[in-house]
Amino acid sequence: MNVMSKIRVGATHLAALKAALPHAVLDEAWQTDTQLTITVKLNQLPEAVAYLYYQREGWLSVVVGNDERKLNGSFGLYYVLSMEGEEKGYVVVHAAVPEGKEEFPSVTPKVPACVWGEREVRDMFGLKPIGLPDERRLVLPDDWPADLHPLRKDAMDYRLRPDPVGDDETYTFVNDSKQETTVIPLGPLHITSDEPGHFRLFVDGEDIIDADYRMFYVHRGMEKIAETRMGYDEVTFLADRVCGICGYAHSVAYTNSVENALGIVVPQRAQAIRTILLETERLHSHLLNLGLACHFVGFDTGFMQFFRVREKSMTLAEMLTGSRKTYAINLIGGVRRDILGEQRTRTLQLIGELRVEVGRLVEMLLSTANVDGRVKGVGILDPQIARDYSPVGPLVRGSGHKRDTRVLHPFAGYGLVDLGINVGEGCDVLSRTLVRVAEFFDSLSIIEQALENTPAGPILTEDFTYQPYKFALGFTEAPRGEDIHWSMTGDNQKLWRWRCRASTYANWPVLRYMLRGNTVSDAPLIVASIDPCYSCTDRVTVVDVKKATQKTVPYKEMERYCRDRTDSPLK
Amino acid sequence: MFKLLKEIFRTGEATVKYPFAPLHVEKDFRGKPEHDPEQCIACAACTVACPPNAIAMATDTDAGTRTWSIDYGRCIFCARCEEVCPTDAIRLSTDFELAVTTKADLTRQAVFRLARCEACDEPFAAAKEVAYVQDLIDKTAPSANEAARRRRSVATCPACKRARDVATVAALRFDRQPEETR
Amino acid sequence: MSRTPTTDAFRPTSGITRIDTPADIASMKGALLKDIQRSAYVYRVDCGGCNGCEIEIFAAITPIFDAERFGIKVVASPRHADILLFTGAVTRAMRMPAVRAYEAAPDPKIVVSYGACGCSGGIFHDLYCVWGGTDKIVPVDVYIPGCPPTPAATIYGFAVALGLLGQKLKAETHVEGADERVAIAHPNVPYNLRVLIEREARRMAGYRQGGDIAELFLTLLGTAGTGTLSERMARHAGLENDPRTLEILERLKGVVTAAMAGAAS
Repeated sequence: MNVMSKIRVGATHLAALKAALPHAVLDEAWQTDTQLTITVKLNQLPEAVAYLYYQREGWLSVVVGNDERKLNGSFGLYYVLSMEGEEKGYVVVHAAVPEGKEEFPSVTPKVPACVWGEREVRDMFGLKPIGLPDERRLVLPDDWPADLHPLRKDAMDYRLRPDPVGDDETYTFVNDSKQETTVIPLGPLHITSDEPGHFRLFVDGEDIIDADYRMFYVHRGMEKIAETRMGYDEVTFLADRVCGICGYAHSVAYTNSVENALGIVVPQRAQAIRTILLETERLHSHLLNLGLACHFVGFDTGFMQFFRVREKSMTLAEMLTGSRKTYAINLIGGVRRDILGEQRTRTLQLIGELRVEVGRLVEMLLSTANVDGRVKGVGILDPQIARDYSPVGPLVRGSGHKRDTRVLHPFAGYGLVDLGINVGEGCDVLSRTLVRVAEFFDSLSIIEQALENTPAGPILTEDFTYQPYKFALGFTEAPRGEDIHWSMTGDNQKLWRWRCRASTYANWPVLRYMLRGNTVSDAPLIVASIDPCYSCTDRVTVVDVKKATQKTVPYKEMERYCRDRTDSPLK
Repeated sequence: MFKLLKEIFRTGEATVKYPFAPLHVEKDFRGKPEHDPEQCIACAACTVACPPNAIAMATDTDAGTRTWSIDYGRCIFCARCEEVCPTDAIRLSTDFELAVTTKADLTRQAVFRLARCEACDEPFAAAKEVAYVQDLIDKTAPSANEAARRRRSVATCPACKRARDVATVAALRFDRQPEETR
Repeated sequence: MSRTPTTDAFRPTSGITRIDTPADIASMKGALLKDIQRSAYVYRVDCGGCNGCEIEIFAAITPIFDAERFGIKVVASPRHADILLFTGAVTRAMRMPAVRAYEAAPDPKIVVSYGACGCSGGIFHDLYCVWGGTDKIVPVDVYIPGCPPTPAATIYGFAVALGLLGQKLKAETHVEGADERVAIAHPNVPYNLRVLIEREARRMAGYRQGGDIAELFLTLLGTAGTGTLSERMARHAGLENDPRTLEILERLKGVVTAAMAGAAS
């Protein structure tokens, strides 16, 4: 069934790792031509990950925990590295944590990018990362009972809803500054945002000294139903709902992971249609962000204009998929809708209109006085910080790193189209905005190319057999960067484990560094520039540590201050 | 500034007339799933396929009924039901005006009669489903005898079928010792 | 460590603080609706949705759909709100912030539950980290289904909430009639051949477009007409400009040819 050729991408990395750490490697296996999983000794896990990360140009994609006790008596840890040096592919470092001694050496002190992944493994599986400085919960809410780890197979039914342990929020926020600072909490409710998040800005006067944030207000437990209530073929519709904006990218990443695990060859036409829809999603997502960039610099007319034009991309999505969002188009093995003659003609027409209209709007935006002044040099993401934390998408490309999954690890139909990587060297909000503008026009061209050369033939294959306990990665370049899914099939037509890492998950940890040194009025703009779909600020409570007073500033006031920059609400 | 004004004048009125005039919706828009109960055989394929469990089937053996239901409030409009339906009894329309003030108005039900097993007379499957499958058998069976046999089989409940299979296998005496077979 | 929960533990509202409403809330709401007819201030409470709903609400207030035509304005604080719009399946972490937002809005207030997750928990309805819908934590006045509701559905829902338009949907129960029977489709085409054609059409163009094309093909195949099947296909309006649909129809013809050859051999 598995149609793997004899190509073994990652062999040089493996050889180098064996040379550097002679006794660390226990086992190795290729899941696909470009996916290698290396099993190492648990006590040498940090060295192995750090070696591949810094010496072999690896970037951390995701940390996966897996309860494999029923299969082999241990928990599995998988550190997925995207190798972006000479030999490009995915190398997964795997180590087994034996049942009964449920701890492992933390990789975070050596590779900071692992911090969220290891905190999540502790929450969900109860495995203790030894040496991880941050002991706070990441995913689970404050009212969740201690010592109940949802993803352990024997922990609980997926429907168990334990009574809240309390109605108070007990999360503590970290402030690294040495001086006295004022605290500004933002959130968790916002006027409109991707997900609720709670920010604390630590400020001295107008300057942000440090920042911390609590996310996962929307943790619903998707990974658990994917392995309990749902069949593996239903999870594509769940993956659509990981994110309401780049849901299709998740759906493709998920189907790819299962197709890779089972060795399913997806028809070329289905691949091309996936590519077209992924780029359609990028069109409306980037227009959303460009509109919001206008909004946050106080240029609301521009915001409304971008949203007006954005509706054309929504019409395109509705015509091609039957829905403006959450397309529900993927099945394992292909897609559910074809692009017939009339749709092809209308798509090309809409693409032409978008090119002209957005071209005019971008010109208008860039020639508007004070836009430049508000976005240039603001929210700097230092390239070295980026290297340490492995952020993705326009954020990392805006800081000069050439990271784009579509080019580095071609998937779906991207092998069939001509495509480059857009990078910016400014490292600031402007640089990221310009990267998005360039990508928008690239997307138009990709859709045209894919429509020009759409292969004939079927859009779905059902010529495969479900096999248990196979695993592999699936990946896409969502509008916000790489989405990566790790799926392992189980028995009974269900998944054993599904790990989904959204692009913004990889981008949050660097935000703290981007906020430092900027003024409070720029905070919403900087948060919006990582494109969490909207800046996560709503209700602003100001705590002045020196005076021990507290004052609540409404979000609108904060946002007004971001636009006008006069009459500071902090005075 | 000039460019902006030019753009505004060029655009003119962009707003749609809805709700004062009907809205143009794409032909294959996935709106409200329209269930045609007369065309439905209560086979439950849609209830199995529905990812959010918006479609459900409840069997009441005492009343001899099987009730199909859909909760439009839980529906994610993925059209898996339409995809798996063997009789085209459910299809997503372009209707999107679904808001209600009473939650009960979001559900729709269809009650079907259950057929009784030929052997034990217990209700076991929707009568329409049995009738539909029997019609299919008449069209596809290689001979009249075979058709009659299959029709009987379809009209028998799984428990009785198992019992009959056990009896048939016992009659074959497959567990005889080799000596006896000689 | 292992917990096998009783069904009681699944019950979504156990242990949640209940909301009290004033006794005369209905008449208060009636008065509110009369007062705010052309000026409804809306505050959004995201209780852990996927953000699809948020973006569609955004689309509803921007130029193409422009809900502000009707005086519907999204405001930044629950203190200013007449209408609270709850999205998401209510995650555990968002329960208290959402309840605080509800309590912060002045009485009387209209609560709108938005999207499949808000109405009933949607695809997440029985998960461990959600409570399964807006009405599990606060009383709801209007439900707007959709995943997500389109901007037009949003406008319609607001019109229903404000009493400007009546609701169309009604609870209905169909009871099987005495002589209800489902006929087999396309009786002139052999059943097994029909299955092959429908399967190939779905493989080529999916359940909807493929289904429609198969229907067209089977109708052409099952009814007598002048000329060969190819000629009749070619005569069908609009197909000359649609090479893809023609390709699919040719494939379906191939299925018929192969089946006939198989039957002959």
